Amino acid sequence: MSTLNLLIAVCIAYVSFLFLVAFAADRLALQGKKAWLRSPLIYTLSLSIYCTAWTFYGAVGSAARNGFEYLTIYLGPTLVMVSWWWLLRKMLRIGRTQKITSIADLISSRYGKSSLLAAGVTTLAVIGTTPYIALQLQSVTLSFSVFAAGADGSNPDVSRDLGLWLSLGLAVFTVLFGTRNLDAKERHDGVVMAIAVEAVVKLVALLSVGIFVVWGVSGGLSEALYQIDASEFGQWHTDRSRWAGLIFLSAAAFLCLPRTFQVLVVENDDERHLRTASWAFPLYLCLISLFVVPIAVVGLSIMPEGSNPDLFVLTVPLALGENGLAMLSFLGGFSSATSMVIVAAIALSTMVSNHIVMPIWLRLRPSGASVSGDVRAAVLMARRLSIVGVVMLGYLYYRFSSGGAALASIGLVAFCGLAQVLPAMLGGMFWRGATRLGAFAGLTAGFATWLYTLYLPSFGVGTILPATIIDNGLFGWTWLKPDALFGISGMDQLMHALLWSMLFNVLAFVTVSLLSFPSPLERLQAAQFVNIFEHSANTRTWSRGGAQTEDLMVMAQRILGAQEAQALFSGHARKQGARGDLPEPTPDFLEVLERELASSVGAATAHAMVGQITGGMAVSVEDLMAVADETAQMLEYSARLKEQSEELSRTALELRNANQKLTRLSIQKDAFLSQISHELRTPMTSIRAFSEILRDTDQIQPEDQSRYASIIHDEAQRLTRLLDDLLDLSVVENGQVNLNLRDGTLRDALDRAVSSAAVGEDGAQLDIKRDRAREDIQLCTDLDRLSQVFINLIANARKYCDAPNPCLTIRVMQDTDRIVVDFQDNGSGISSEAADLIFEKFARVSDQKAGGAGLGLAICRQVMTRLGGSVEYVPALRGANFRVVLPYRTALAAQ
Amino acid sequence: MTSGADRPGSPANFHEKGTYRRRRLTDAARLAPILALILWFIPLIWPQSGAGTVSSATALIYIFLVWAGVIVMTWGLSRLLADDPTDRAADDGPEK
Repeated sequence: MSTLNLLIAVCIAYVSFLFLVAFAADRLALQGKKAWLRSPLIYTLSLSIYCTAWTFYGAVGSAARNGFEYLTIYLGPTLVMVSWWWLLRKMLRIGRTQKITSIADLISSRYGKSSLLAAGVTTLAVIGTTPYIALQLQSVTLSFSVFAAGADGSNPDVSRDLGLWLSLGLAVFTVLFGTRNLDAKERHDGVVMAIAVEAVVKLVALLSVGIFVVWGVSGGLSEALYQIDASEFGQWHTDRSRWAGLIFLSAAAFLCLPRTFQVLVVENDDERHLRTASWAFPLYLCLISLFVVPIAVVGLSIMPEGSNPDLFVLTVPLALGENGLAMLSFLGGFSSATSMVIVAAIALSTMVSNHIVMPIWLRLRPSGASVSGDVRAAVLMARRLSIVGVVMLGYLYYRFSSGGAALASIGLVAFCGLAQVLPAMLGGMFWRGATRLGAFAGLTAGFATWLYTLYLPSFGVGTILPATIIDNGLFGWTWLKPDALFGISGMDQLMHALLWSMLFNVLAFVTVSLLSFPSPLERLQAAQFVNIFEHSANTRTWSRGGAQTEDLMVMAQRILGAQEAQALFSGHARKQGARGDLPEPTPDFLEVLERELASSVGAATAHAMVGQITGGMAVSVEDLMAVADETAQMLEYSARLKEQSEELSRTALELRNANQKLTRLSIQKDAFLSQISHELRTPMTSIRAFSEILRDTDQIQPEDQSRYASIIHDEAQRLTRLLDDLLDLSVVENGQVNLNLRDGTLRDALDRAVSSAAVGEDGAQLDIKRDRAREDIQLCTDLDRLSQVFINLIANARKYCDAPNPCLTIRVMQDTDRIVVDFQDNGSGISSEAADLIFEKFARVSDQKAGGAGLGLAICRQVMTRLGGSVEYVPALRGANFRVVLPYRTALAAQ
Repeated sequence: MTSGADRPGSPANFHEKGTYRRRRLTDAARLAPILALILWFIPLIWPQSGAGTVSSATALIYIFLVWAGVIVMTWGLSRLLADDPTDRAADDGPEK
């Protein structure tokens, strides 16, 4: 019993030492001296959490039973570490930017912060890890029993009590150092430090035993190798499928086990540490496994037949009388077991409290997170209870599995179960098309297959699965036999389960992912995860700030603690330049806050809590509608602007046209003035000349005198006519004309006009076509004025028609209230440009044919307006076409 | 993926020598695990019985030599890849 007491004393001393180490590390961390605590070396050593007591003792046992197969358990993680550049670096970056707290959080966060998925992964992790914890307890009690009471005097009471005390001690340690604070980064300096120390103890213990065996027992390296060749597994012989399958399985487990994920991703605080760990951790694994075969060979040769090869690490030094070495070896196994339980409990409790307890607790409180109660205390309490729960679950499992051989194989069974998370995780990191439904389907399919083909049968025939199912398959269908799905038998049971579960898992994951459509949040997170190196940092945004800052403050205080929350809020208030300590709830701030909360309670819960207060999802329909409204308003505004600018340009065009017209008129007027001066000057000149002759010539012939006088008279008449025209126009224009209304026919007016205008002074003849019958229309108007208009139009045709045989057609039409008279010649007509101007004063179509003063048409228009009708130029197919419109009775309004 | 030069704003096809070296180093870092896996899968083709069976000592030495090689290779790669200040080597994006 003294050995046992000594052993217990050593254990207590060792555990106290660990307490001290953890305590000191936490103190140092509080003082801000993190540099040494968080070195790449510590990080690498903490990864050794992968090597549990199962590997510490079990590797030698496995080597003794199955030869080199044990190596696969270390080769897998080595390959993963060597893949650091494309795999682990990405995982770490995702973990850091998304503030991932566990593997369940990673999966949930990737697939749209799904609470259901997180709870599923958590359940899987608990089911897979509990037997593993039991295994650790078993290994410690077994190693105890080696020292106690002779060879293998397993005293069930002692081991049972030991198991209980050990569980309680570990639970206390974990609660003390694992839940000291809800650290923003979910890191545990004390625990990591203790694990690093335990890693050294493990390594030193195994190396010491190995060195002792090789150089102390076998007598050197070459002798040891010779012994290996001479032993019963002297030839390379290993199951090929298990070799490949176990390498895959251990690699997958290294990524997916909650405890390795905890140290690899969550506890990491500098990505650069990975660079060191990428080669240092393979070195650690290499050293751990280096002496396993020599120890197994020596153990097989010197230990009596039937002794447990799992305990060779312990029993070989004991058998050879090396008690000190045996004690060291025992401590190595002890530290392997304890560190595994501690970290597994922390990782699992984080998952359980964040993804199962807290969501339920929050849901049970309808008032929401911001009302009463202390969420921070609740989270801590949930975590502590979860730790105790997880450890005790392991203990109970150990008790009721009766510590038999069933436990020995549970390690790989657990690996296989947790490996089901791998497709969803890697798919989420590298494939944007992976969806929540796909992940859920894959996990469910893989988990169910694993449960049916491996986990439940591992309890032994008839324990949970009745023998009928094992023998005949589910429902008596033989193709559903748990160890031979689809009738494919003869495979190793583990490989069989691994193959089918992974196959169904990947198949369901990919198929459902391809067929389903992800939510916007999922797609956003998918892009964030897959392209983590392109756009770091920024997760999904809060698009509006409807949140009440006070409420957020109250909630944040409860979760982060009063001081931290106040520091966070006032820091942001300063950054925003707001007065007081409360910042505006901008999307930026909400995002930061949510991330801070996420590191304490998990992404989905934090999102839900902030969402509860802000009352909005990531992008609400109202937001979208507001954005759409704004867009519509802007569109409308720009349309209005466009309309206005079009109107402006139209007005500008009109103005430009008017201006052009004015300019042309001005030019015409100038031309007319010079013309009219010329017209006035010519008769004046001849009048002056002839009057001078009459005055100065003495002997003038009477006939000459008479001729000169008549010339002077003619010229004076011409002048009078010109001035009459001008006066006439100004009179008509000013509305001073007196209309002399008479009854008569249109034919009379036309007759008069034709007779006076058809033949010019130069004798030019104009052929005129008329339909006299239609002209017999009774009128009551100023016939003289009307004739004047007709004369003007006929004279114009005579003067300006450029056809070889000028011809004018006068057409008369009448409808109900007016008479239309068209004057159409057969010339080339008037250009549309000139048509604009011909009715203006002084306007003339061309300078060459300057027959008159350019007042005729202007007078016509004024006259017709006075008579209540109009005269206008109508573009015709050929020739010029003037249209005179007059009413039956002239309106006398003008009078 | 056919021709990067066709796309607007596509990264330049030719880089400085240093950048080029670094790209090839990252290629090597990606391929390293495949090499290790292949080397550790070699035992799968060793005969399991008969004349040419490999002795356990030889097998052990082989596996651990590969292990040592992998460790040295990873160490070298991690040292060579360390001089990136941001540790954020752009995989395909233009550098500098």
